[in-house]
Amino acid sequence: MLEARDVSVSIGGKRIVHRTSLIAEPGEVTAIVGPNGSGKTTLLKAISGDLAHEGTIVLNGHHVATTQPWKLAQMRAVLPQATVLSFPFTVREIVRLGVSGGRTGALAGEDGRLPDRALARVDLEGFAGRFYQELSGGEQQRVQLARVLCQVWAPVLEGVPRYLLLDEPVSSLDIKHQLVIMKIARDFAGRGGGVIAILHDLNLMAMFADKVLVMHKGRGAVSGAPRDVLRDELLETVFGCPLKVGALPAGNAPFVLPQSVHI
Amino acid sequence: MAIAREDIGRPPAMAGEPDDAGDRSGRARTAIVLLALLLVATAVFSLASGASDASASAVLADWLSGHGGDTLSARDRIIVHDIRLPRVVLGILVGAALAVAGATMQGLFRNPLADPGIVGVSAGAGLGAISMIVLGNGLLAPVTAMAGIYALPLAAFLGGLASTMLLHQVATRRGQTSIATMLLAGIALGALAGALAGMLIYVADDRQLRDLTFWQLGSLGGSTWTKVAAAGPIIAVALATSLLLARGLNALALGEASARHLGIPVQRMKNVAIVAVAAAAGASVAVSGGIGFVGIVVPHLLRLLIGPDHRYLLPASALLGASLLLLADAVSRTIVAPAELPIGIVTAVVGAPFFLWILLRRRGIVDL
Repeated sequence: MLEARDVSVSIGGKRIVHRTSLIAEPGEVTAIVGPNGSGKTTLLKAISGDLAHEGTIVLNGHHVATTQPWKLAQMRAVLPQATVLSFPFTVREIVRLGVSGGRTGALAGEDGRLPDRALARVDLEGFAGRFYQELSGGEQQRVQLARVLCQVWAPVLEGVPRYLLLDEPVSSLDIKHQLVIMKIARDFAGRGGGVIAILHDLNLMAMFADKVLVMHKGRGAVSGAPRDVLRDELLETVFGCPLKVGALPAGNAPFVLPQSVHI
Repeated sequence: MAIAREDIGRPPAMAGEPDDAGDRSGRARTAIVLLALLLVATAVFSLASGASDASASAVLADWLSGHGGDTLSARDRIIVHDIRLPRVVLGILVGAALAVAGATMQGLFRNPLADPGIVGVSAGAGLGAISMIVLGNGLLAPVTAMAGIYALPLAAFLGGLASTMLLHQVATRRGQTSIATMLLAGIALGALAGALAGMLIYVADDRQLRDLTFWQLGSLGGSTWTKVAAAGPIIAVALATSLLLARGLNALALGEASARHLGIPVQRMKNVAIVAVAAAAGASVAVSGGIGFVGIVVPHLLRLLIGPDHRYLLPASALLGASLLLLADAVSRTIVAPAELPIGIVTAVVGAPFFLWILLRRRGIVDL
């Protein structure tokens, strides 16, 4: 269980997140949505242990603020929005960094094969020999996800659930790979792990999240199941945009929803 | 539509033979073995070459016979054991230290242009060393009395440490190092250290001036077992420490936050790396003066050859750095024989154009 209670974060004297709480249960995908600058990434960074914060953040009984990095690394993996490399590593060398902590939870002797398996899962089979810096932004994002998956390959290690913390995991992906990645998150939760994902696409959120926290001006505006949260009034208040849930386009203008895919 | 690769929790259905594309560790191990052989060869070559005519085969035969044979005259044996051997050992230590200090610093700053010589760390170490040479019998006499032969490397280490920490403070903000800020800060640090050193030189006496001039140009000439004993332990500890940082430096290539997420205690690792760089650079500067560019040329060549994985890059840098410095020393001894060219000139003549070439290739990225 990952529980953030009354978390406040200030950066450079400016308060970015105000007394926000979030509970992410194992077995569930917990989404964070909200407009730009509403504090989503800052909250996730506090949960990841990157930013000093007020309030408490407890991961599987350990206070994130005071737990050693190696110990946290066994309980959660973090996918940043984008990663710029300082040296020309190959894709395999990057993904292998996820294995290097030695606590993947894969069967004994399987660690060596994890990079290939993780790359296959993010639909990058055959990319192992390419240079990371030569890939497109979306491909780089999927390489990083493969690395993150290796770090917590088993969603549950020795009875303790592990977490994927994903900061806009599908922001630079085409629709097919958005679905591939969200399906991976869904499956990770399905096998007992926990997922927190910052998402912008409300349809993807409605499709994959069990629970959602809506952030507005640095505060948690509301949280709950997507069907309870996605309300016209809330969307208008939070996003400042008069949206209608479930409304079809006028006339016969075409539209495509991710829900229409057959999985 | 096949969006779901159903290999979750099971072996992938399509996985055939384990495919090792993108895995350069085999190549890196081979390269390390070859570099070790190269170092042995250059060391033997260095031992056998010099003004006296003691040949390689004679030296080897003498060693293999346990110094009992008569292949080597007593005079040649002294030349080999007390002049050439300490010079070769010191060359290996200094070459390895400079190359590993460069590679470690580049990993620490996430920046392939960082090098102790270029960004002012060697200048800081030099200031420490000059302070000790000039003030060692005056103001700093208590240090000389306490530290003995270690006084000079210690002073150089402290000077190098101060400039590395200052540089890191100035050039790194929120875990990001600006290449331009780093290089410019390096220029300022180098100028400041140079100015302070100039003031010390102004008050130096004639004998100290001779010591300084010889030392400033950078040379392995005048190598003695005492110098080996003074710098050797410091360099050995610094090298071993750097090798232990390899996994952390690899993770750091992803950025500080991602390294921490992988379980690396980033702040502690950076502190250790800074001390290791200052110790390696400081001890080298103390015994051999300003030998530049080894720390940038060697890791750069090796990254092209075996990739940037520090588990292999660091030991390979140590081996190639040692070999290159021995070769540069051989050139410096022979090119204007019977006189000797300072080795710092040789490494600069080769290294400076190489540095410009790297800049040219990365012009878009450096973006000054």
